[in-house]
Amino acid sequence: MRGRFPAVARRRPQVAVAGALAVLLAVAVAAVLSPWLVPGATDQDLVLGITGPVPGHPLGTDDLGRDVLELLVAGARTAVPGALCVAAGSMLIGNLIGLPAGYFGGWADALAMRWADLMFSLPALLVAIVVAGVLGGGYGLAVAVLVVLFAPTDTRVVRGAVLEQRHRPYVEAALLKNLSAWRIMTRQIWPNIASVTLANGFLNFAYALVSLASLSFLGLGVPAGSPDWGRTLADNRAQLLVNPWAVVAPGLAIILTAAALNIVGDWLHERVDRRGRAR
Amino acid sequence: MKESTGTGATAEPAIRVEGIKVRQPSTGRTLLSEVSFEVAAGESVAIVGESGSGKSLTVRAMLGLLPQGLEATGQVRIAGERVDDDPRARRRQRGGVVSLLMQDPFTLLNPLRRAGRQIADGLPKGADAAVEVPRLLAEVGLPANVAGRYPFQLSGGMRQRIGLAAALAGGPRVLVADEPTTALDATTQREVLSLIRRVQRERDMAFVLITHDLRLAFSTCDRVMVMYAGRVMETGSAAAVRHEQFHPYTRALLAAEPPADRRLAVIPSVPGAVPAHDAAAGRCGFADRCSLAVPECRTGVPEPRPVRVSGNVREGRLSACLRAAELPAPPAPEPGVVSRPPVAAEPVLEVRDLRRWFAGSPHPALAGVSLTVAPGEVVGVVGESGSGKTTLARCVAGLERPDGGAILLGGADCSDYGRMGRAAVRQARRISQMIFQDPYSTLNPARTVGATLREALWADGRPAGPDDLARLLESVGLARDMAGMRPAGLSGGERQRVAIARAVAGEPRLLICDEPVSALDVSVQAQVLGLLAELRERLSMAMLFITHDLAVVRQIADRLYVLESGTCVETGLADRVLDAPEHPYTRTLLASVPDGSGDWLD
Amino acid sequence: MAGRDRGLFLLRRFAGTVVVVALLSVGMFGLLYLAPGSVQQTLLGTRPATLETIAAIQARYHLDEPLPAQYLRWLGGVLHGDLGTSVRTGMPVADMIGQRLPLTLALVGYGALLALLVGVPLGVVGALRRGRAADRLVVTAGVVGLSAPPFAVGLLLLVVFAAGLGWFPVYGTGEGLADQAWHLTLPAVALAVGAVGMFVRFSRAALIRELDQDYVVFARARGLSGAAVIGYALRNSLVPILTAAGLIVTGMLAGTVLVEVTFALPGLGSLLVDSVTFKDVPAVQALGLLFTLLIVAVNLLVDIGYSVADPRVRFGGRTS
Repeated sequence: MRGRFPAVARRRPQVAVAGALAVLLAVAVAAVLSPWLVPGATDQDLVLGITGPVPGHPLGTDDLGRDVLELLVAGARTAVPGALCVAAGSMLIGNLIGLPAGYFGGWADALAMRWADLMFSLPALLVAIVVAGVLGGGYGLAVAVLVVLFAPTDTRVVRGAVLEQRHRPYVEAALLKNLSAWRIMTRQIWPNIASVTLANGFLNFAYALVSLASLSFLGLGVPAGSPDWGRTLADNRAQLLVNPWAVVAPGLAIILTAAALNIVGDWLHERVDRRGRAR
Repeated sequence: MKESTGTGATAEPAIRVEGIKVRQPSTGRTLLSEVSFEVAAGESVAIVGESGSGKSLTVRAMLGLLPQGLEATGQVRIAGERVDDDPRARRRQRGGVVSLLMQDPFTLLNPLRRAGRQIADGLPKGADAAVEVPRLLAEVGLPANVAGRYPFQLSGGMRQRIGLAAALAGGPRVLVADEPTTALDATTQREVLSLIRRVQRERDMAFVLITHDLRLAFSTCDRVMVMYAGRVMETGSAAAVRHEQFHPYTRALLAAEPPADRRLAVIPSVPGAVPAHDAAAGRCGFADRCSLAVPECRTGVPEPRPVRVSGNVREGRLSACLRAAELPAPPAPEPGVVSRPPVAAEPVLEVRDLRRWFAGSPHPALAGVSLTVAPGEVVGVVGESGSGKTTLARCVAGLERPDGGAILLGGADCSDYGRMGRAAVRQARRISQMIFQDPYSTLNPARTVGATLREALWADGRPAGPDDLARLLESVGLARDMAGMRPAGLSGGERQRVAIARAVAGEPRLLICDEPVSALDVSVQAQVLGLLAELRERLSMAMLFITHDLAVVRQIADRLYVLESGTCVETGLADRVLDAPEHPYTRTLLASVPDGSGDWLD
Repeated sequence: MAGRDRGLFLLRRFAGTVVVVALLSVGMFGLLYLAPGSVQQTLLGTRPATLETIAAIQARYHLDEPLPAQYLRWLGGVLHGDLGTSVRTGMPVADMIGQRLPLTLALVGYGALLALLVGVPLGVVGALRRGRAADRLVVTAGVVGLSAPPFAVGLLLLVVFAAGLGWFPVYGTGEGLADQAWHLTLPAVALAVGAVGMFVRFSRAALIRELDQDYVVFARARGLSGAAVIGYALRNSLVPILTAAGLIVTGMLAGTVLVEVTFALPGLGSLLVDSVTFKDVPAVQALGLLFTLLIVAVNLLVDIGYSVADPRVRFGGRTS
């Protein structure tokens, strides 16, 4: 029975969350300020060419003589906005479809859910490779394709959360007060599921970041030579014996940023869960 | 402990607990303290209390089964062996010496293991499952072929019997049962309790029953121990406590429990709610709600002490009241009053031959039910789970669409809200409103009380200024400054009051009440019933009152409909139906209400 | 009776699967029309647009017929094992796939096995030591693992174990079973890291949920041994872990594309990337369909697993 015993406060490794927030802050600063911090990130120095760490280039250079550290900072600017667009776009679509689908039910809901199930069973990245590849690739296209592929997951999450609330007495009481469906959805139900969609948004953000980097790595995202983490990896993988940092640095940047987003997302999820349990 | 009971004072008691205290180290809260008791071999003891009393935590601490994050201190001896400081002894004792039966039959069994195997898992080493499992099943009144079933193929009552058989498999000398029948229907509850008591006597086990129901405790156990806010209030033999209470809380608890055999003019209720253990530190936990409290009650914690009345020690009685010996005689039981005669007027609600059959269900939820509710009349609908009573309420409220039949609200056809015009729907919603069972989900957790009630006033076309809001809050007995609070900060009773205020904001002619008090503690239940009775008078409002509890319905309903499997088997004036039931099902239901006597289970 | 119910359950699932495959095959066929430029041009690729080549395409694809007819022709060909001719190499697509399928299956199988053997035990350890240092370590490592894209992991592994320590070869597939396994180890690890993270997360969460259930407390209270109690909980967490396994293995089919490119392995994934880059639509269609079938097969296996693991599915009972 719920609430028989006092809710047990379980402590999470708060160190990990603090670390994750610090990483996200650094990435955010790099993404916003990189044009001013590293204005010459893509300046080539073909005379210098590729080299390991040397004075002036703490992480060395790539085969075009570009500074790896500066590329790393500049890379945040392509990594973050696209992934943010994917997470926000799919969250928006998910809410717009999931809210009425969960609230009204019926055949439109059933249809939407079959579609979501289908999309859910296919790995988004695989579909993105095929579709973006056949259509010709490109950053904007990759972002658009990922929004379409992520939206079903969001729709399922939102719909599930709405269904959980839909038959609670407070919603039925609002119905009995003759409030409009729109008002019930937006003012009664939505505030109770907003945190769920936000937490899910963070997890999507992480997955979108990794997916975009993967597409760029395969040459289906940003054009060659762009200071993107995935692209830099692809451009320099032949040179990993000469300057391993040109591969290690962007690789770690992707992993750390995605891990930080996932840690924050999990932390939000757990807070939502705990609040749900404490009721 | 200084008390002794009939069973040989020299024998080592089956359980001896001294000074148990349960804390939550992460928050620094103490949840209960100074709980001491003993249970003799073969004796049955009930630990009684409302939610927050610490009754469940006490036995969990005793058994070393506290939820994660809680810590217990204090001495526990089971079967003469000290176990509180010895986890290995505890493990050795589980099953063979002491066993636990839990509350919810739907979660206490492993869903993926056949019943017989689960019973066999608890048998002592070397026992032959092929012999023992059928024997245990027979002992709990189940046929041997049940062993091959999975839990999801069994009813709640059968699952609880399997649970009992599994708990008995190790041959324990002590059985602890934590609200073993609360989740069951009244008739099943009586069967299972009677089974447990028979088994306990046959096996001569010591038995500890955790319950919130004082009458049930009297009927089932030799002795009772009453707890409140994490402390022991009173102990004594069941018959003696039933006859005479030495703690004002026990009295209040007993008085607040409505009787099924008569209707009281007013159910005596205690104001306020159970405080947290820490909130009552350093004083008597009940002092703030007690009409007999003196200043000394708030200067120290009264210990449970033997009761001495005019120089004579009352055998086996302990009370934690400073004034135990000088309590005034309890008021004589209130005489019953008669329920109101029906009014001859155009009914506010008329239901004709209502039918509803849920897809995938083997039986109809409603197989043609007809009823009427006159203006200002309270009509009770009683039945067990599966009787269709809640479906009926939801159809009338328009939350469920009936398959057939008609619903007339104030003369207008409201059988299908989907086909009604906007104005007709608004009209119907103004006539009828509803309150729900679960006080935890009845309010929107994201919104303040004020926002919820302002919206209700607005939706019902009433002015929604600060004064209107304050008036509405006061009409359900809440202070106006509660408007700024969110549901998480309110007690169950307060939430239900807010829900009632929301429903009556537009002064509806009919209030549909779906088990409005069954999730509340007895003392709070009495308050809410009182409030409903008062509102009914003031607003001359009719009610359709859905409940499984005959004692509750007796207190409020004028007329009754008894539902069984979607059909109405008996109807009439509440007094007539409950005093002289005609249908056998009504008689079974009545016999299932605990009356507090020792022979109720026989 | 149980057998019949399980048969019905699987039949229903199988019918659903057929519908899914049919829908996706329409999508795959549609790729031809999705590609920029005219269909004829797409199918010509870099070949010169002579009368013969155009006639050959006409003869094969019947581009003048209505779309449904074209689709049915294409589908008919696929069902007879005719997956078309690669625009890029001029070889039959079926042959190209046949050459590369074993490597991809071996890679995914190897990776899935590694992930299962590492991930589930770690998740169980985390759940049993909930809140302690070991659990925190497992949880954090799991999150980092599932955040790491296989190509980044792969390149880091190459830097450390191949280029740095020299324990494993940098590229190539090797000859003979042992040598092949040795060559596939780094790619399989790169593929498994994310899957380990997922297994840790799902199995830990599932087991914790079960350990909190009443039946676990009840089992302890009536004296069942610690191992028996954990057995109860593990048995019940099998169904959610099975669900996760389906998602993880299908996710690995996407991951293998990245890993094969990273390690320059001649599998289906690198074939897909090459075909996609070259706009070799017939090859992409065939590969897409093949991946779809593999995913569907995994999901069907998971469904069969359910009906074995959970009697409620088998008997059509309702989960309570």
